[in-house]
Amino acid sequence: MIDVILHALPIAIVASTPLLLAVEGEMVVQRAGIINLGIEGMMLTAAMTAVLAQHATESVLAGFAGGILGALLVAAIFGVFAIRYRADQIVTGTAINLLALGLTGFVYQAAGGALFAASAMSEAAQYVAVLLAWIAIPAALAVMLWMTRFGLRLRAAGENPEAVQHVHAYRWSALAIEALLAGAGGAFLALALSSGFAENMTAGRGFIALSIVIFGRWKVRGAIIGTALFGVAAGLQYTLQAMNIGLPFHLLLAVPYVVTLLILCGIAGRVRAPEALGR
Amino acid sequence: MRQIAAAVAALVLLSLSALAFGRSPIELLQILVSGSIGSQFALEGTLLKSVPLLLTGLSVAVAFRAGVWNIGGEGQFIVGAIAAIMAARFGVIAALAASMLAGALWASIATSMRLWRNAPEVLTTILLNFIAIHLLGWCVNGPLQERGGQYPQTDAAAAALPQVGELHAGVLLAILASVATWFLLYRTMEGLRLRATGFNARAAKWAGIDVDRQLVRAMGISGALAGLAGGIELLGVTHRLFERFAAGYGYSGIAVALLAQLHPLATIASSIFFGALTTGAGELQRTAGISSNVATFGEAVVILILILFGSWRARD
Repeated sequence: MIDVILHALPIAIVASTPLLLAVEGEMVVQRAGIINLGIEGMMLTAAMTAVLAQHATESVLAGFAGGILGALLVAAIFGVFAIRYRADQIVTGTAINLLALGLTGFVYQAAGGALFAASAMSEAAQYVAVLLAWIAIPAALAVMLWMTRFGLRLRAAGENPEAVQHVHAYRWSALAIEALLAGAGGAFLALALSSGFAENMTAGRGFIALSIVIFGRWKVRGAIIGTALFGVAAGLQYTLQAMNIGLPFHLLLAVPYVVTLLILCGIAGRVRAPEALGR
Repeated sequence: MRQIAAAVAALVLLSLSALAFGRSPIELLQILVSGSIGSQFALEGTLLKSVPLLLTGLSVAVAFRAGVWNIGGEGQFIVGAIAAIMAARFGVIAALAASMLAGALWASIATSMRLWRNAPEVLTTILLNFIAIHLLGWCVNGPLQERGGQYPQTDAAAAALPQVGELHAGVLLAILASVATWFLLYRTMEGLRLRATGFNARAAKWAGIDVDRQLVRAMGISGALAGLAGGIELLGVTHRLFERFAAGYGYSGIAVALLAQLHPLATIASSIFFGALTTGAGELQRTAGISSNVATFGEAVVILILILFGSWRARD
Protein backbone atom coordinates (compact mmCIF):
# COMPACT_ATOMS: atom_id res chain seq x y z
CA MET A 1 0.00 0.00 0.00
CA ILE A 2 2.77 2.43 1.00
CA ASP A 3 4.43 1.45 -2.23
CA VAL A 4 1.39 2.36 -4.24
CA ILE A 5 1.09 5.74 -2.55
CA LEU A 6 4.78 6.57 -2.96
CA HIS A 7 4.51 5.72 -6.60
CA ALA A 8 1.38 7.80 -7.03
CA LEU A 9 2.68 10.85 -5.15
CA PRO A 10 4.78 12.54 -7.85
CA ILE A 11 2.01 12.16 -10.41
CA ALA A 12 -0.55 13.40 -7.92
CA ILE A 13 1.58 16.44 -7.12
CA VAL A 14 1.88 17.52 -10.74
CA ALA A 15 -1.75 16.73 -11.50
CA SER A 16 -3.07 18.70 -8.54
CA THR A 17 -0.88 21.76 -9.08
CA PRO A 18 -3.69 23.79 -10.69
CA LEU A 19 -5.92 22.78 -7.80
CA LEU A 20 -3.33 23.88 -5.23
CA LEU A 21 -2.98 27.28 -6.91
CA ALA A 22 -6.76 27.65 -6.73
CA VAL A 23 -6.81 26.57 -3.08
CA GLU A 24 -4.14 29.14 -2.22
CA GLY A 25 -6.03 31.87 -4.04
CA GLU A 26 -9.38 31.03 -2.48
CA MET A 27 -7.78 30.87 0.96
CA VAL A 28 -6.49 34.43 0.61
CA VAL A 29 -9.82 35.78 -0.61
CA GLN A 30 -11.76 33.97 2.14
CA ARG A 31 -9.32 35.33 4.71
CA ALA A 32 -10.47 38.74 3.53
CA GLY A 33 -14.09 37.73 4.08
CA ILE A 34 -15.19 36.78 0.59
CA ILE A 35 -16.48 33.41 -0.57
CA ASN A 36 -15.75 33.27 -4.26
CA LEU A 37 -17.78 30.46 -5.75
CA GLY A 38 -16.94 31.97 -9.12
CA ILE A 39 -13.40 30.60 -8.91
CA GLU A 40 -14.60 27.75 -11.11
CA GLY A 41 -15.49 30.21 -13.86
CA MET A 42 -12.30 32.12 -13.19
CA MET A 43 -10.16 29.04 -13.85
CA LEU A 44 -12.21 28.06 -16.88
CA THR A 45 -11.83 31.50 -18.40
CA ALA A 46 -8.11 31.50 -17.60
CA ALA A 47 -7.67 28.12 -19.29
CA MET A 48 -9.19 29.55 -22.44
CA THR A 49 -7.40 32.90 -22.49
CA ALA A 50 -4.12 31.09 -21.78
CA VAL A 51 -4.55 28.95 -24.87
CA LEU A 52 -5.59 31.97 -26.95
CA ALA A 53 -2.58 33.98 -25.75
CA GLN A 54 -0.20 31.11 -26.35
CA HIS A 55 -1.60 30.72 -29.83
CA ALA A 56 -1.06 34.36 -30.62
CA THR A 57 2.50 34.52 -29.31
CA GLU A 58 3.77 30.92 -29.36
CA SER A 59 5.17 31.54 -25.91
CA VAL A 60 4.24 29.63 -22.75
CA LEU A 61 5.02 32.63 -20.58
CA ALA A 62 2.64 34.79 -22.58
CA GLY A 63 0.11 31.97 -22.24
CA PHE A 64 0.33 32.24 -18.47
CA ALA A 65 0.06 36.01 -18.69
CA GLY A 66 -3.03 35.58 -20.82
CA GLY A 67 -4.54 33.17 -18.33
CA ILE A 68 -3.93 35.55 -15.46
CA LEU A 69 -5.39 38.43 -17.45
CA GLY A 70 -8.53 36.41 -18.13
CA ALA A 71 -8.87 35.55 -14.46
CA LEU A 72 -8.36 39.19 -13.51
CA LEU A 73 -11.20 40.19 -15.82
CA VAL A 74 -13.52 37.67 -14.18
CA ALA A 75 -12.36 38.87 -10.76
CA ALA A 76 -13.17 42.44 -11.76
CA ILE A 77 -16.74 41.47 -12.66
CA PHE A 78 -17.13 39.47 -9.46
CA GLY A 79 -15.68 42.30 -7.39
CA VAL A 80 -17.96 44.95 -8.86
CA PHE A 81 -21.00 42.95 -7.81
CA ALA A 82 -19.82 41.27 -4.61
CA ILE A 83 -17.64 44.07 -3.17
CA ARG A 84 -18.84 47.30 -4.76
CA TYR A 85 -22.57 46.48 -4.74
CA ARG A 86 -22.38 44.06 -1.80
CA ALA A 87 -24.54 41.54 -3.63
CA ASP A 88 -24.95 38.08 -2.24
CA GLN A 89 -21.63 36.35 -2.87
CA ILE A 90 -23.05 32.91 -3.59
CA VAL A 91 -25.58 34.24 -6.10
CA THR A 92 -22.89 36.37 -7.74
CA GLY A 93 -20.47 33.44 -7.86
CA THR A 94 -23.09 31.23 -9.47
CA ALA A 95 -23.83 33.89 -12.08
CA ILE A 96 -20.09 34.26 -12.77
CA ASN A 97 -19.81 30.51 -13.35
CA LEU A 98 -22.72 30.53 -15.80
CA LEU A 99 -21.21 33.57 -17.50
CA ALA A 100 -17.81 31.89 -17.89
CA LEU A 101 -19.36 28.63 -19.04
CA GLY A 102 -21.47 30.44 -21.63
CA LEU A 103 -18.72 32.76 -22.86
CA THR A 104 -15.99 30.13 -23.15
CA GLY A 105 -18.40 27.72 -24.83
CA PHE A 106 -19.36 30.52 -27.19
CA VAL A 107 -15.76 31.31 -28.15
CA TYR A 108 -14.91 27.61 -28.37
CA GLN A 109 -17.69 27.02 -30.88
CA ALA A 110 -16.82 30.18 -32.76
CA ALA A 111 -13.30 28.75 -33.10
CA GLY A 112 -14.80 25.71 -34.72
CA GLY A 113 -14.59 23.48 -31.64
CA ALA A 114 -10.81 23.25 -31.73
CA LEU A 115 -8.58 25.22 -29.37
CA PHE A 116 -5.35 23.31 -29.05
CA ALA A 117 -2.24 24.61 -27.37
CA ALA A 118 0.34 25.75 -29.91
CA SER A 119 3.02 23.61 -28.27
CA ALA A 120 3.35 21.56 -25.12
CA MET A 121 4.87 23.15 -22.04
CA SER A 122 8.43 21.84 -21.60
CA GLU A 123 9.09 19.50 -18.71
CA ALA A 124 11.61 21.88 -17.18
CA ALA A 125 9.07 24.69 -17.20
CA GLN A 126 6.51 22.37 -15.60
CA TYR A 127 8.93 21.54 -12.78
CA VAL A 128 9.53 25.23 -12.14
CA ALA A 129 5.79 25.83 -11.97
CA VAL A 130 5.27 22.88 -9.63
CA LEU A 131 8.05 24.02 -7.30
CA LEU A 132 6.65 27.54 -7.27
CA ALA A 133 3.14 26.33 -6.48
CA TRP A 134 4.10 23.85 -3.78
CA ILE A 135 6.98 25.68 -2.05
CA ALA A 136 7.67 29.28 -3.03
CA ILE A 137 4.09 30.59 -3.22
CA PRO A 138 2.92 28.97 0.04
CA ALA A 139 5.96 30.40 1.83
CA ALA A 140 5.30 33.83 0.37
CA LEU A 141 1.62 33.67 1.28
CA ALA A 142 2.40 32.59 4.84
CA VAL A 143 4.80 35.52 5.28
CA MET A 144 2.34 37.92 3.71
CA LEU A 145 -0.66 36.81 5.76
CA TRP A 146 1.03 36.43 9.13
CA MET A 147 4.09 38.69 9.15
CA THR A 148 3.13 41.85 7.35
CA ARG A 149 0.88 44.75 8.21
CA PHE A 150 -0.89 44.23 4.88
CA GLY A 151 -1.66 40.61 5.79
CA LEU A 152 -2.91 41.54 9.23
CA ARG A 153 -5.31 44.08 7.78
CA LEU A 154 -6.38 41.72 5.03
CA ARG A 155 -7.30 39.14 7.67
CA ALA A 156 -9.02 41.81 9.74
CA ALA A 157 -11.17 42.63 6.72
CA GLY A 158 -12.39 39.06 6.98
CA GLU A 159 -12.73 38.91 10.75
CA ASN A 160 -13.96 42.30 11.78
CA PRO A 161 -14.37 44.66 8.86
CA GLU A 162 -15.62 47.47 11.09
CA ALA A 163 -12.14 47.68 12.62
CA VAL A 164 -10.35 48.25 9.33
CA GLN A 165 -10.10 51.34 7.22
CA HIS A 166 -10.48 50.77 3.48
CA VAL A 167 -11.99 47.29 3.80
CA HIS A 168 -12.84 47.36 0.11
CA ALA A 169 -9.23 48.00 -0.86
CA TYR A 170 -8.06 44.92 1.07
CA ARG A 171 -10.82 42.78 -0.38
CA TRP A 172 -10.02 43.93 -3.89
CA SER A 173 -6.34 43.14 -3.29
CA ALA A 174 -7.22 39.68 -2.01
CA LEU A 175 -9.38 39.13 -5.08
CA ALA A 176 -6.53 40.21 -7.34
CA ILE A 177 -4.16 37.78 -5.61
CA GLU A 178 -6.71 35.04 -6.08
CA ALA A 179 -7.05 35.85 -9.77
CA LEU A 180 -3.27 35.73 -10.13
CA LEU A 181 -3.11 32.26 -8.58
CA ALA A 182 -6.29 30.77 -10.04
CA GLY A 183 -5.37 32.25 -13.43
CA ALA A 184 -1.98 30.57 -13.31
CA GLY A 185 -3.77 27.38 -12.25
CA GLY A 186 -6.12 27.53 -15.22
CA ALA A 187 -3.18 28.20 -17.55
CA PHE A 188 -1.23 25.23 -16.12
CA LEU A 189 -4.28 23.05 -16.58
CA ALA A 190 -4.66 23.96 -20.25
CA LEU A 191 -1.02 24.23 -21.26
CA ALA A 192 0.68 21.53 -19.16
CA LEU A 193 -1.91 18.94 -18.16
CA SER A 194 -4.02 19.12 -21.31
CA SER A 195 -3.15 20.03 -24.84
CA GLY A 196 -5.56 22.90 -25.10
CA PHE A 197 -9.02 24.05 -24.13
CA ALA A 198 -12.14 21.92 -23.96
CA GLU A 199 -15.63 22.95 -22.87
CA ASN A 200 -16.06 22.92 -19.10
CA MET A 201 -12.57 21.46 -18.74
CA THR A 202 -12.09 22.59 -15.14
CA ALA A 203 -14.73 19.98 -14.19
CA GLY A 204 -15.42 21.31 -10.70
CA ARG A 205 -11.81 22.01 -9.63
CA GLY A 206 -12.90 25.38 -8.29
CA PHE A 207 -15.51 23.78 -6.03
CA ILE A 208 -13.02 21.15 -4.90
CA ALA A 209 -10.63 24.00 -4.07
CA LEU A 210 -13.28 25.66 -1.90
CA SER A 211 -13.79 22.40 -0.05
CA ILE A 212 -10.06 22.00 0.60
CA VAL A 213 -9.81 25.55 1.93
CA ILE A 214 -12.38 24.63 4.58
CA PHE A 215 -10.69 21.30 5.25
CA GLY A 216 -7.36 23.11 5.64
CA ARG A 217 -8.97 25.49 8.12
CA TRP A 218 -7.96 28.56 6.09
CA LYS A 219 -4.27 27.86 6.77
CA VAL A 220 -1.39 27.58 4.31
CA ARG A 221 -0.21 24.30 5.76
CA GLY A 222 -3.75 22.92 5.67
CA ALA A 223 -4.05 23.94 2.03
CA ILE A 224 -0.94 21.98 1.09
CA ILE A 225 -1.77 18.91 3.15
CA GLY A 226 -5.38 18.92 1.99
CA THR A 227 -4.44 19.21 -1.67
CA ALA A 228 -1.79 16.48 -1.43
CA LEU A 229 -4.25 14.22 0.35
CA PHE A 230 -6.86 14.88 -2.29
CA GLY A 231 -4.34 14.40 -5.08
CA VAL A 232 -3.28 10.99 -3.82
CA ALA A 233 -6.84 9.85 -3.12
CA ALA A 234 -8.12 11.08 -6.46
CA GLY A 235 -5.11 9.51 -8.16
CA LEU A 236 -6.37 6.19 -6.85
CA GLN A 237 -8.82 6.18 -9.72
CA TYR A 238 -5.93 5.66 -12.16
CA THR A 239 -4.31 3.06 -9.93
CA LEU A 240 -7.60 1.20 -9.67
CA GLN A 241 -8.10 1.53 -13.39
CA ALA A 242 -4.63 0.09 -14.04
CA MET A 243 -5.22 -2.74 -11.57
CA ASN A 244 -8.28 -3.62 -13.61
CA ILE A 245 -10.28 -5.01 -10.70
CA GLY A 246 -13.54 -4.64 -12.55
CA LEU A 247 -14.79 -1.34 -11.19
CA PRO A 248 -16.55 0.37 -14.08
CA PHE A 249 -14.64 3.25 -15.65
CA HIS A 250 -17.55 5.69 -15.35
CA LEU A 251 -17.86 5.17 -11.63
CA LEU A 252 -14.11 5.69 -11.19
CA LEU A 253 -14.57 9.12 -12.78
CA ALA A 254 -16.68 10.07 -9.77
CA VAL A 255 -13.87 9.26 -7.33
CA PRO A 256 -12.46 12.81 -6.99
CA TYR A 257 -15.89 14.19 -6.08
CA VAL A 258 -16.61 11.43 -3.60
CA VAL A 259 -13.19 12.05 -2.05
CA THR A 260 -14.02 15.75 -1.76
CA LEU A 261 -17.34 14.97 -0.08
CA LEU A 262 -15.50 12.78 2.40
CA ILE A 263 -12.95 15.55 2.96
CA LEU A 264 -15.78 17.99 3.68
CA CYS A 265 -17.32 15.52 6.12
CA GLY A 266 -13.95 14.95 7.74
CA ILE A 267 -13.93 18.38 9.29
CA ALA A 268 -14.16 17.02 12.77
CA GLY A 269 -14.94 19.32 15.64
CA ARG A 270 -15.63 22.99 15.37
CA VAL A 271 -14.24 24.79 12.39
CA ARG A 272 -13.71 28.46 12.92
CA ALA A 273 -14.21 30.33 9.68
CA PRO A 274 -13.20 33.97 9.31
CA GLU A 275 -15.86 35.81 11.30
CA ALA A 276 -17.16 38.05 8.51
CA LEU A 277 -16.94 35.43 5.77
CA GLY A 278 -19.67 35.91 3.20
CA ARG A 279 -20.77 39.29 4.52
CA MET B 1 -41.11 45.97 -13.61
CA ARG B 2 -37.44 45.58 -12.74
CA GLN B 3 -37.66 41.97 -13.83
CA ILE B 4 -38.92 42.90 -17.27
CA ALA B 5 -36.25 45.57 -17.62
CA ALA B 6 -33.60 43.04 -16.68
CA ALA B 7 -34.88 40.56 -19.22
CA VAL B 8 -34.93 43.20 -21.96
CA ALA B 9 -31.46 44.44 -21.06
CA ALA B 10 -30.15 40.87 -21.22
CA LEU B 11 -31.66 40.41 -24.68
CA VAL B 12 -30.01 43.62 -25.91
CA LEU B 13 -26.63 42.49 -24.55
CA LEU B 14 -27.11 39.08 -26.13
CA SER B 15 -27.92 40.50 -29.52
CA LEU B 16 -24.69 42.50 -29.42
CA SER B 17 -22.83 39.21 -29.19
CA ALA B 18 -23.81 38.66 -32.83
CA LEU B 19 -21.09 41.16 -33.70
CA ALA B 20 -18.54 38.55 -32.61
CA PHE B 21 -19.78 36.40 -35.46
CA GLY B 22 -19.86 39.28 -37.90
CA ARG B 23 -23.63 39.37 -38.02
CA SER B 24 -26.11 42.10 -37.27
CA PRO B 25 -27.66 42.17 -33.80
CA ILE B 26 -31.08 42.82 -35.34
CA GLU B 27 -30.83 39.64 -37.39
CA LEU B 28 -29.93 37.69 -34.24
CA LEU B 29 -32.91 39.09 -32.35
CA GLN B 30 -35.18 38.24 -35.26
CA ILE B 31 -34.02 34.62 -35.30
CA LEU B 32 -34.26 34.46 -31.52
CA VAL B 33 -37.87 35.70 -31.55
CA SER B 34 -39.09 33.76 -34.59
CA GLY B 35 -37.34 30.63 -33.35
CA SER B 36 -39.02 30.78 -29.96
CA ILE B 37 -42.48 32.32 -30.40
CA GLY B 38 -42.73 32.99 -34.13
CA SER B 39 -44.71 29.92 -35.11
CA GLN B 40 -46.90 27.35 -33.47
CA PHE B 41 -44.08 24.83 -33.74
CA ALA B 42 -41.62 27.22 -32.12
CA LEU B 43 -44.09 28.08 -29.38
CA GLU B 44 -44.60 24.42 -28.56
CA GLY B 45 -40.85 23.99 -28.37
CA THR B 46 -40.66 26.91 -25.96
CA LEU B 47 -43.38 25.50 -23.73
CA LEU B 48 -41.72 22.08 -23.68
CA LYS B 49 -38.44 23.66 -22.57
CA SER B 50 -40.25 25.77 -19.96
CA VAL B 51 -41.56 22.72 -18.11
CA PRO B 52 -38.25 21.46 -16.65
CA LEU B 53 -37.16 25.06 -16.10
CA LEU B 54 -40.33 25.80 -14.15
CA LEU B 55 -39.80 22.81 -11.89
CA THR B 56 -36.10 23.37 -11.29
CA GLY B 57 -36.93 27.05 -10.77
CA LEU B 58 -39.49 26.12 -8.12
CA SER B 59 -36.93 23.81 -6.55
CA VAL B 60 -34.49 26.70 -6.20
CA ALA B 61 -37.22 29.08 -5.02
CA VAL B 62 -38.25 26.80 -2.14
CA ALA B 63 -34.65 26.22 -1.07
CA PHE B 64 -33.53 29.85 -1.28
CA ARG B 65 -36.71 31.03 0.48
CA ALA B 66 -35.80 28.75 3.36
CA GLY B 67 -32.22 30.02 3.29
CA VAL B 68 -30.78 26.77 2.01
CA TRP B 69 -28.25 26.90 -0.82
CA ASN B 70 -29.37 24.00 -2.96
CA ILE B 71 -27.21 24.33 -6.08
CA GLY B 72 -27.75 20.62 -6.69
CA GLY B 73 -30.75 20.81 -9.02
CA GLU B 74 -28.72 19.28 -11.83
CA GLY B 75 -27.87 16.14 -9.87
CA GLN B 76 -31.37 15.80 -8.43
CA PHE B 77 -32.77 16.17 -11.96
CA ILE B 78 -30.55 13.31 -13.14
CA VAL B 79 -31.27 10.85 -10.33
CA GLY B 80 -34.98 11.69 -10.72
CA ALA B 81 -34.82 10.62 -14.35
CA ILE B 82 -32.82 7.47 -13.54
CA ALA B 83 -35.40 6.47 -10.92
CA ALA B 84 -38.24 7.26 -13.33
CA ILE B 85 -36.91 5.00 -16.06
CA MET B 86 -36.36 2.18 -13.58
CA ALA B 87 -39.88 2.50 -12.17
CA ALA B 88 -41.57 3.10 -15.53
CA ARG B 89 -42.67 -0.50 -15.90
CA PHE B 90 -44.98 0.04 -12.93
CA GLY B 91 -46.73 2.88 -14.75
CA VAL B 92 -46.40 6.61 -15.16
CA ILE B 93 -47.57 7.53 -11.70
CA ALA B 94 -45.09 5.17 -10.05
CA ALA B 95 -42.34 6.58 -12.25
CA LEU B 96 -43.17 10.17 -11.29
CA ALA B 97 -43.33 9.25 -7.61
CA ALA B 98 -39.99 7.48 -7.90
CA SER B 99 -38.41 10.54 -9.52
CA MET B 100 -39.56 12.79 -6.67
CA LEU B 101 -38.38 10.34 -4.05
CA ALA B 102 -34.99 9.93 -5.72
CA GLY B 103 -34.50 13.70 -5.99
CA ALA B 104 -35.44 14.19 -2.35
CA LEU B 105 -33.13 11.39 -1.20
CA TRP B 106 -30.22 12.68 -3.29
CA ALA B 107 -30.69 16.15 -1.79
CA SER B 108 -30.92 14.68 1.68
CA ILE B 109 -27.37 13.34 1.36
CA ALA B 110 -26.30 16.98 1.44
CA THR B 111 -28.70 17.70 4.31
CA SER B 112 -27.33 14.93 6.47
CA MET B 113 -23.76 15.99 5.79
CA ARG B 114 -24.70 19.48 6.88
CA LEU B 115 -26.47 18.36 10.04
CA TRP B 116 -23.94 15.75 11.16
CA ARG B 117 -20.66 17.13 9.92
CA ASN B 118 -21.47 20.78 9.32
CA ALA B 119 -20.42 20.48 5.67
CA PRO B 120 -21.80 23.51 3.76
CA GLU B 121 -24.62 22.41 1.45
CA VAL B 122 -23.60 24.93 -1.19
CA LEU B 123 -20.53 22.76 -1.86
CA THR B 124 -21.91 19.30 -1.16
CA THR B 125 -24.88 19.81 -3.50
CA ILE B 126 -22.54 20.93 -6.30
CA LEU B 127 -20.23 17.95 -5.74
CA LEU B 128 -23.25 15.64 -5.80
CA ASN B 129 -24.06 17.06 -9.25
CA PHE B 130 -20.76 15.77 -10.59
CA ILE B 131 -21.30 12.40 -8.95
CA ALA B 132 -24.79 12.16 -10.47
CA ILE B 133 -23.41 12.97 -13.92
CA HIS B 134 -20.93 10.09 -13.68
CA LEU B 135 -23.60 7.83 -12.22
CA LEU B 136 -25.68 8.58 -15.30
CA GLY B 137 -22.66 7.88 -17.51
CA TRP B 138 -22.27 4.51 -15.84
CA CYS B 139 -26.00 3.71 -16.15
CA VAL B 140 -26.22 4.39 -19.88
CA ASN B 141 -22.96 2.57 -20.58
CA GLY B 142 -23.64 -0.27 -18.18
CA PRO B 143 -26.67 -1.68 -16.42
CA LEU B 144 -29.29 0.44 -18.20
CA GLN B 145 -27.78 0.45 -21.69
CA GLU B 146 -30.13 -0.32 -24.57
CA ARG B 147 -30.51 -3.96 -25.50
CA GLY B 148 -28.65 -3.58 -28.79
CA GLY B 149 -25.75 -2.15 -26.81
CA GLN B 150 -24.78 0.11 -29.68
CA TYR B 151 -25.12 3.61 -28.28
CA PRO B 152 -24.60 4.93 -24.76
CA GLN B 153 -28.31 5.35 -24.10
CA THR B 154 -31.18 3.42 -22.57
CA ASP B 155 -34.13 1.81 -24.29
CA ALA B 156 -37.29 3.90 -24.42
CA ALA B 157 -39.04 4.04 -21.04
CA ALA B 158 -41.84 1.51 -20.54
CA ALA B 159 -44.32 4.29 -19.82
CA ALA B 160 -44.89 7.80 -21.13
CA LEU B 161 -46.87 10.84 -20.05
CA PRO B 162 -50.18 11.21 -21.91
CA GLN B 163 -50.06 13.66 -24.80
CA VAL B 164 -52.05 16.89 -24.66
CA GLY B 165 -52.17 18.09 -28.26
CA GLU B 166 -48.52 18.46 -29.26
CA LEU B 167 -47.53 18.85 -25.62
CA HIS B 168 -47.49 16.36 -22.78
CA ALA B 169 -49.32 16.23 -19.48
CA GLY B 170 -46.16 17.40 -17.70
CA VAL B 171 -47.12 20.96 -18.63
CA LEU B 172 -50.19 20.70 -16.43
CA LEU B 173 -48.24 18.95 -13.69
CA ALA B 174 -45.65 21.73 -13.65
CA ILE B 175 -48.29 24.44 -13.36
CA LEU B 176 -50.00 22.44 -10.64
CA ALA B 177 -46.66 22.16 -8.86
CA SER B 178 -46.16 25.91 -8.90
CA VAL B 179 -49.63 26.55 -7.47
CA ALA B 180 -48.99 23.90 -4.81
CA THR B 181 -45.62 25.43 -3.97
CA TRP B 182 -47.21 28.86 -3.70
CA PHE B 183 -49.89 27.45 -1.41
CA LEU B 184 -47.31 25.70 0.72
CA LEU B 185 -45.08 28.75 1.09
CA TYR B 186 -47.72 31.44 1.55
CA ARG B 187 -50.84 29.77 2.90
CA THR B 188 -49.62 27.21 5.43
CA MET B 189 -47.88 27.35 8.80
CA GLU B 190 -45.23 25.09 7.38
CA GLY B 191 -44.48 27.63 4.66
CA LEU B 192 -44.33 30.43 7.18
CA ARG B 193 -41.78 28.48 9.19
CA LEU B 194 -39.71 27.82 6.09
CA ARG B 195 -39.73 31.47 5.09
CA ALA B 196 -39.05 32.66 8.63
CA THR B 197 -36.02 30.38 8.77
CA GLY B 198 -34.77 31.73 5.49
CA PHE B 199 -35.39 35.33 6.47
CA ASN B 200 -33.55 35.12 9.75
CA ALA B 201 -32.60 31.73 11.12
CA ARG B 202 -31.57 33.09 14.51
CA ALA B 203 -34.85 34.91 15.04
CA ALA B 204 -36.77 31.86 13.86
CA LYS B 205 -34.96 29.77 16.42
CA TRP B 206 -35.86 32.25 19.15
CA ALA B 207 -39.47 32.07 18.02
CA GLY B 208 -39.42 28.36 18.71
CA ILE B 209 -38.93 27.01 15.21
CA ASP B 210 -36.85 23.88 14.84
CA VAL B 211 -34.43 25.27 12.27
CA ASP B 212 -32.76 21.93 11.51
CA ARG B 213 -36.11 20.39 10.70
CA GLN B 214 -36.87 23.24 8.29
CA LEU B 215 -33.56 22.56 6.57
CA VAL B 216 -34.47 18.89 6.14
CA ARG B 217 -37.90 19.75 4.76
CA ALA B 218 -36.79 22.54 2.44
CA MET B 219 -34.08 20.34 0.94
CA GLY B 220 -36.50 17.44 0.64
CA ILE B 221 -39.15 19.47 -1.17
CA SER B 222 -36.57 21.21 -3.30
CA GLY B 223 -34.94 17.90 -4.27
CA ALA B 224 -38.33 16.32 -5.02
CA LEU B 225 -39.23 19.18 -7.39
CA ALA B 226 -35.92 18.91 -9.26
CA GLY B 227 -36.29 15.12 -9.38
CA LEU B 228 -39.81 15.50 -10.75
CA ALA B 229 -38.41 17.80 -13.45
CA GLY B 230 -36.07 15.00 -14.51
CA GLY B 231 -38.86 12.43 -14.42
CA ILE B 232 -41.19 14.56 -16.53
CA GLU B 233 -38.47 15.39 -19.04
CA LEU B 234 -37.78 11.67 -19.43
CA LEU B 235 -41.40 10.48 -19.59
CA GLY B 236 -42.68 13.36 -21.70
CA VAL B 237 -39.86 14.45 -24.01
CA THR B 238 -36.74 12.30 -24.37
CA HIS B 239 -38.17 8.88 -23.34
CA ARG B 240 -34.57 7.70 -23.04
CA LEU B 241 -31.57 8.52 -20.92
CA PHE B 242 -28.25 9.50 -22.49
CA GLU B 243 -25.09 11.11 -21.19
CA ARG B 244 -25.97 14.76 -21.74
CA PHE B 245 -29.54 14.32 -20.55
CA ALA B 246 -29.54 17.09 -17.94
CA ALA B 247 -28.31 19.85 -20.28
CA GLY B 248 -27.91 22.37 -17.48
CA TYR B 249 -31.58 22.56 -16.45
CA GLY B 250 -30.58 22.39 -12.79
CA TYR B 251 -28.30 25.41 -13.00
CA SER B 252 -30.73 27.31 -15.21
CA GLY B 253 -33.31 26.91 -12.46
CA ILE B 254 -31.30 29.36 -10.38
CA ALA B 255 -31.69 32.07 -13.00
CA VAL B 256 -35.38 31.21 -13.42
CA ALA B 257 -36.04 31.50 -9.68
CA LEU B 258 -34.07 34.72 -9.24
CA LEU B 259 -35.84 36.43 -12.15
CA ALA B 260 -39.13 35.46 -10.48
CA GLN B 261 -37.84 36.90 -7.20
CA LEU B 262 -38.29 33.43 -5.71
CA HIS B 263 -42.08 33.65 -6.09
CA PRO B 264 -43.65 30.35 -7.20
CA LEU B 265 -46.33 31.89 -9.43
CA ALA B 266 -43.99 34.41 -11.04
CA THR B 267 -41.73 31.44 -11.77
CA ILE B 268 -44.21 30.39 -14.46
CA ALA B 269 -43.61 33.57 -16.46
CA SER B 270 -39.90 33.47 -15.79
CA SER B 271 -39.59 29.87 -16.97
CA ILE B 272 -41.38 30.72 -20.22
CA PHE B 273 -38.94 33.56 -20.79
CA PHE B 274 -35.93 31.31 -20.31
CA GLY B 275 -37.64 28.50 -22.22
CA ALA B 276 -38.02 30.89 -25.15
CA LEU B 277 -34.40 31.95 -24.80
CA THR B 278 -33.20 28.34 -24.85
CA THR B 279 -35.39 27.42 -27.81
CA GLY B 280 -34.42 30.56 -29.71
CA ALA B 281 -30.75 29.86 -28.99
CA GLY B 282 -31.15 26.37 -30.46
CA GLU B 283 -32.55 27.97 -33.62
CA LEU B 284 -29.60 30.38 -33.72
CA GLN B 285 -27.23 27.44 -33.71
CA ARG B 286 -29.10 25.70 -36.52
CA THR B 287 -29.70 28.62 -38.87
CA ALA B 288 -26.95 31.12 -38.11
CA GLY B 289 -24.21 28.92 -36.68
CA ILE B 290 -24.14 31.02 -33.52
CA SER B 291 -23.43 28.86 -30.49
CA SER B 292 -26.44 28.01 -28.35
CA ASN B 293 -24.23 28.88 -25.39
CA VAL B 294 -25.77 32.34 -25.71
CA ALA B 295 -28.61 30.94 -23.58
CA THR B 296 -26.28 30.17 -20.65
CA PHE B 297 -24.65 33.55 -21.15
CA GLY B 298 -28.11 35.14 -21.12
CA GLU B 299 -29.00 33.49 -17.82
CA ALA B 300 -25.86 34.89 -16.21
CA VAL B 301 -26.51 38.34 -17.61
CA VAL B 302 -30.07 38.35 -16.27
CA ILE B 303 -28.86 37.47 -12.76
CA LEU B 304 -26.13 40.12 -12.84
CA ILE B 305 -28.49 42.82 -14.12
CA LEU B 306 -31.00 41.94 -11.40
CA ILE B 307 -28.23 42.44 -8.86
CA LEU B 308 -27.42 45.82 -10.40
CA PHE B 309 -31.07 46.78 -10.08
CA GLY B 310 -30.79 45.99 -6.42
CA SER B 311 -33.48 43.37 -6.19
CA TRP B 312 -31.15 40.76 -4.76
CA ARG B 313 -29.19 42.48 -2.04
CA ALA B 314 -27.06 40.85 0.58
CA ARG B 315 -29.20 39.65 3.44
CA ASP B 316 -27.18 40.93 6.37
